[in-house]
Amino acid sequence: MVVLRDGMCPGLSEELVVALRAADITTGTWTNFAFQALLAIRRVLLAQHTAFPVSGADLYEDLLSSTAILSTGNPSLDKLLDSGLYTGELTELAGGPGSGKTQVCFGVAVNISYQLKQSVIYVDSTGGLSASRLLQMLQAKSCNIEEQMEALQRIQVFPVFDIFSLLGCLHHFRCVGLQQASAGGGSVKAVIVDSVSAVISPILGGKQNEGMSMMMQVAGLLKTIAKDFNVAVLVTNTVTRDGNGQLKAGMGQTWSHVPRIRILLQRLERPGSTCSSVRTATLAKSSRQPCHLKEEFDLQCWGRSEEQLYGMSGKRKLENTEPS
Amino acid sequence: MGHEYIMLFCFFFQLFARLEGRRSLRDIEPHIFPDGAGPVQGDVVEFHGTEGSGKTETMYHLVTHCILPADRGGLEVEVMYVDTDYHFDMLRLVTVLEQRLGEDAKGEDSGAAVEPEERVRACLGRLFVVHCSSSVQLLLTLHYLENTFCSRPTLCLLVIDSISAFYWVDRSGGGESVAKQEANLRKCSELLDRLLRDYRIVVFATTHAIMRNYGHSAQADLAAMTPGPSEPSSSSSSWRQWSSSHASNFDKAYLSRAWQRLVTHRVLFSKGEVTKDRKQVFSAACTTTSTRGTKCSSFCVMEGGVQFL
Repeated sequence: MVVLRDGMCPGLSEELVVALRAADITTGTWTNFAFQALLAIRRVLLAQHTAFPVSGADLYEDLLSSTAILSTGNPSLDKLLDSGLYTGELTELAGGPGSGKTQVCFGVAVNISYQLKQSVIYVDSTGGLSASRLLQMLQAKSCNIEEQMEALQRIQVFPVFDIFSLLGCLHHFRCVGLQQASAGGGSVKAVIVDSVSAVISPILGGKQNEGMSMMMQVAGLLKTIAKDFNVAVLVTNTVTRDGNGQLKAGMGQTWSHVPRIRILLQRLERPGSTCSSVRTATLAKSSRQPCHLKEEFDLQCWGRSEEQLYGMSGKRKLENTEPS
Repeated sequence: MGHEYIMLFCFFFQLFARLEGRRSLRDIEPHIFPDGAGPVQGDVVEFHGTEGSGKTETMYHLVTHCILPADRGGLEVEVMYVDTDYHFDMLRLVTVLEQRLGEDAKGEDSGAAVEPEERVRACLGRLFVVHCSSSVQLLLTLHYLENTFCSRPTLCLLVIDSISAFYWVDRSGGGESVAKQEANLRKCSELLDRLLRDYRIVVFATTHAIMRNYGHSAQADLAAMTPGPSEPSSSSSSWRQWSSSHASNFDKAYLSRAWQRLVTHRVLFSKGEVTKDRKQVFSAACTTTSTRGTKCSSFCVMEGGVQFL
């Protein structure tokens, strides 16, 4: 409930608040006291705190003009994601240790900052961010040191190591906006959180509810940031096995409803090869494609130049607004 | 004196809204709801299921049926969609809408003057979307929407997707007292009750299945399956096999009693098996307060939306 204070809205003066308090009304509940004044205050408070309905047609127009699809830099992943990461949505990468989640996050960040020339915010909660690996990926794409430095500058890193600093970081983004938060300049198009489970798994379990509540607060903030600032949010998560022995994303049933798209990464078990960089990606949840689509890809593809990969220049997908 | 006239005016306005009557949604989907027991004015339908079990797709299917024009087989009524966790995917809804409009237009002659985009916009003009980010905002928004229901007699469906989104945040915010934890949802349910009675609308709400049901039925089946007290390890594995295959594993009702009292139709969604041509089959089991037994149906999700089998 919203606590009434004077000055909160026109008509809610100090004397009225004192009089209401005398009648033991401190929050905004309804009575017959000074009918017209209360009617006016109620109308204004409702207008300030409610959400307003938007017509579906206006929402659709808005979405068509503002949604962008960001390519991940890897054609197999793009095929799974229906041409890339969509802005305004939360995508989850789930995989066990060593399955390549962090490498995919690096690849996506490098592709967005170098190829698409947009800023990326990278929230690192595992300490796994390696600037030298990012540089290595950039060096494969371009020999020009200035271009490499520019691309590196567009990736803004925020290290967080517990849930409270993650919440603080996300609240900061929400309040000041992503432009101010990213010092590299340019418009921010993606927020990558690697990994969400590293800060949330330790607080789950036991008989307390605070862990679940903070997890849902993180989920709410990430989705609000995605929608309000029109960015693509990419998070990573661990995996567990369910009763049938199938792989599923970690952090339980409640978190499973949060992402819009979920991709499971696994190592490919090939006989004879011990250290391979090939991974399989399975589409576990999607609103646009049938599930259980599988693609194989090589983690080293981001470290190779365009000519080595396809022999043609990469396409800019930033102008796409409609899924084909 | 002035305030009495205001109250009289509000009373007559509500009376007119009540007398005019809103469109019944009884025949909205005969596959899901039992015969003759579809949702009518004043009913609340709860869609319950785990993640990825087809609740949102079914919701889009029903919403599309409502906003389609009458000459395309729709009900041509307005829908208010309250989205609590930014779950609403407008692009997906438009894909479903375009497919429905496209397949019905094949039977028409090509001399139709109206463009397909215009038709889509006309349908979307009957849909209103609201985002709420906390249970307090949901409560205040429902208060505000009362005026909208009053002034729009063709608005007969309120969709809340999902009403369980603030469960954990409220539970932690209420501290140790269960009454405080459930206070906001209880107030929302009471307000919904009043809206249902006064304006005769229908409410569809989705709830996420997040609580395991370790209920009485679980114990009874376990006793039947346990081989004997001398083999504890195999009994635990058989329990695990049973619990993972049991469809109602996650159907425990955990929201406040005030909400559960409102619900007249409950549809449980679950994932079935994958068919030979790699299609995932989902199933929906509907129970209502006015009929006995369960109506079961199964469906696939295709490009153009839900297809019942």
